Amino acid sequence: MNSDTDLSGPLRPSFESMKARITLGNAVTLFAVLVLAALALATPGFLSMPAIRSLVTTVSFTGCVAIGMTFITLSGNLMSFSLGASLSAATLVFVATLGAGIWPAILAALLFCAALNALQGWIVGYFRANPIIVTMASFAIITGVATSLTGGRGLYILTNVAAGLKGNLGPVPGPFAAFAICALIAQLILSRTALGRRIVLTGTNPRAMLAMGAEPWKAVVWAYALAGLFTGVAAVLMAARYGSGDLQHGIGMEYSAIAAVLVGGTAIEGGRGSFLRTFLGALFIAVLQSVLVLRGFSTEWQRFGMGAVVLLVILLQRK
Amino acid sequence: MNAIREKTAQGQSRDPLLSMRGIGKTYGEVRALSDVSLTLAAGEIRAICGENGAGKSTLVKALTGIVAPDKGEVWLDGAQVHFAAPKDAQAHGINLVSQELSICPDLTVLDNIWLGALSLPFLHRRADLRSRAAEVLKRLGAEHIALDGLAGHLSTGERQLIEIARMLARDTRILILDEPTATLSDKEIHVLMSALKSLRAHGTSILYITHRLGEVFELCDHATVMRGGTVVADLPVAELTRDRLIELMLGRALGHMFPEHHIADGATFFAIDRLNVPGAAHNVSLSVTKGQIMCLTGQLGCGADEVIRVVAGLVSHANGRITLDDAEIPLGRPEVARRRGVRFVSGDRAEEGVFIDRPAWENLVAPRFVERGGAKLVQNRALRGEAAMLADRSTLARHRLPVRTGDLSGGNQQKLAFGRNIGDGAAKLILMIEPTRGIDVGARAEIYRLMRDFCEQGCAILMASSDFAEVLGIADVVATMFRGEIVKTYKTGHLDMTRLIADVTHPEEENA
Repeated sequence: MNSDTDLSGPLRPSFESMKARITLGNAVTLFAVLVLAALALATPGFLSMPAIRSLVTTVSFTGCVAIGMTFITLSGNLMSFSLGASLSAATLVFVATLGAGIWPAILAALLFCAALNALQGWIVGYFRANPIIVTMASFAIITGVATSLTGGRGLYILTNVAAGLKGNLGPVPGPFAAFAICALIAQLILSRTALGRRIVLTGTNPRAMLAMGAEPWKAVVWAYALAGLFTGVAAVLMAARYGSGDLQHGIGMEYSAIAAVLVGGTAIEGGRGSFLRTFLGALFIAVLQSVLVLRGFSTEWQRFGMGAVVLLVILLQRK
Repeated sequence: MNAIREKTAQGQSRDPLLSMRGIGKTYGEVRALSDVSLTLAAGEIRAICGENGAGKSTLVKALTGIVAPDKGEVWLDGAQVHFAAPKDAQAHGINLVSQELSICPDLTVLDNIWLGALSLPFLHRRADLRSRAAEVLKRLGAEHIALDGLAGHLSTGERQLIEIARMLARDTRILILDEPTATLSDKEIHVLMSALKSLRAHGTSILYITHRLGEVFELCDHATVMRGGTVVADLPVAELTRDRLIELMLGRALGHMFPEHHIADGATFFAIDRLNVPGAAHNVSLSVTKGQIMCLTGQLGCGADEVIRVVAGLVSHANGRITLDDAEIPLGRPEVARRRGVRFVSGDRAEEGVFIDRPAWENLVAPRFVERGGAKLVQNRALRGEAAMLADRSTLARHRLPVRTGDLSGGNQQKLAFGRNIGDGAAKLILMIEPTRGIDVGARAEIYRLMRDFCEQGCAILMASSDFAEVLGIADVVATMFRGEIVKTYKTGHLDMTRLIADVTHPEEENA
């Protein structure tokens, strides 16, 4: 096993592997990236430093949620509709616990968000409930409870305690550095830990896991818990950036995250994908949004653009 | 029967109905078919035999317009034809019944028969369709199937007949069957055989692809044997013997299909005591010693598979007591069964046997991911080394390790499903359902060898199989089952085919 990627052995027609390498999807993806890059460069104001800083900062928030979403998709459970709501709730938890200090508040937000999603993962995994329905119901429950507890008002950070989270890491905005580190950690979990391999194997064939005596539901719970954890990171970053915990923070977030996951090329049916792909997918989506904004498209047309991209990607994923 | 034979002989003397000449097909650099020729007369059943990868399916695809051959000609009724798409072949009356049936369970039998018929006009008389469908069923000897019943209520064997009826309703002259008996019970196979014989008597020609050599001898007039994309023999079945056929398919003599039996007795190693599975098995008790292969056998639905699944922990609504190596195995807890040394090799490879979308090497080391703590880092290099070692022990060629598992043959997939259990010495009992279903002769012998080697290390195998030749060949102890109960248990040498078949079909005669 020196060259483990060598498929040129006499066994399989090289036709098969060629098909895998040069698919229509790959070609179109490359084309789309080039078109978007050209558009972005031709858009006045795109290449200015403030615009780029703002772009990479916003992409960090959706990006962290997209990383979380990738775990759920990989585990074979399509997507979660409640990550945005979890994020909102976690920003509230963060601000509410900030009195105890910055680190306890971060810990509380992360654990809260992880537990909230692990619970959904347990319902999906253990009872084999439909993930779409479970997460949609959770979205309603989380939003409902949070609204009634806060009366719909945001919580504001009145002290300077979270200011450190808004800083820069050299020339790189802090949130973007956090996003990049999250992507690396997630990729490490995926490809180098037994848990990561379990999540992928469960995503490709839960029945085979069960037949192996491997308790696929546990892998699903972990996938959701990790999804919550990385969404919690986004919550902390957002709360610090905007100085508030607010139910508005997460609105529509899961949608951008799903788009990023799919554009990145993670298979919607599970078991195939990576976080580097999601990282690039999130960048793609952010650049697209930014170009649409800078070119003066209204919010409605921005939404149209995003929806069209997601549809296109789903069509291209078909073999 | 004689009349049928004469008719066939007549058919041979005239020009053949179909003749394929010098067909060649290359995928990339791989030659799937080279210079393949075959003829088919009206009312002839021709077997196409060969191991997986011999080119049988490519040949069928070339004939049905699914792939276009690079070379060669296809002649039908003395005129050359070209099939650019499946519908061209259908228009000439060539139809394929593939392994996966396409019966819609929520439609009636009548609707299923006419489903997808291209010749059907938009406006048609339903009574007309009824009578034609009834006539087709009659030709198949399946008049008992009600046209207005839901297809979902039919057995697998009956669905197969409906699928064939659908092809006949489309005026099929050449029927191609790809492993039609893979999922049928013995009785259903018998019904199918007589249906096909009846079709032959009516002049329909059949290309019959099968792994089951017995069917070649029972049913077919001629055999085309393929190996490595070429035709190695084209003979009347009457001039063939079973051993000769295997030799032609493999390109060598098989040697011994089955390894030696394990004779020595010992203390009970694994035991099931009064196991009940509601609706599937009643009062099943058995015991196995170290080194033994025990086989539960019976017709489809006899409960053997269910017993195996209970031991694997995959059935929760059972009761009874199971012990392995003096430790009790709780029911319905697959993870506990695994920790106690039970491993399960499913008969349904794609669905729960292997991870078909993952590379082969990952399948071999998949248990490592399960056994280890989640946060522990995995050493991919070490795992690949381990996979290579397991591949060697499972007689799987190392160059297949990076290949996507779904692209491997059934035999190689089964080697993965079995081989992943033998690496760490923790497995004590391997459970198998239909261990060689859909696996060609050569790989089959290798899998039997693996099973025997595993048992010789002080372990045991409990398997369920409805392939009676396999049961007699591999098992040291056989328990025959009928309607969820064990009829009788035999040691090797005390059981023959007649007795086995009597047990699994008419257990009451046994008591008389």
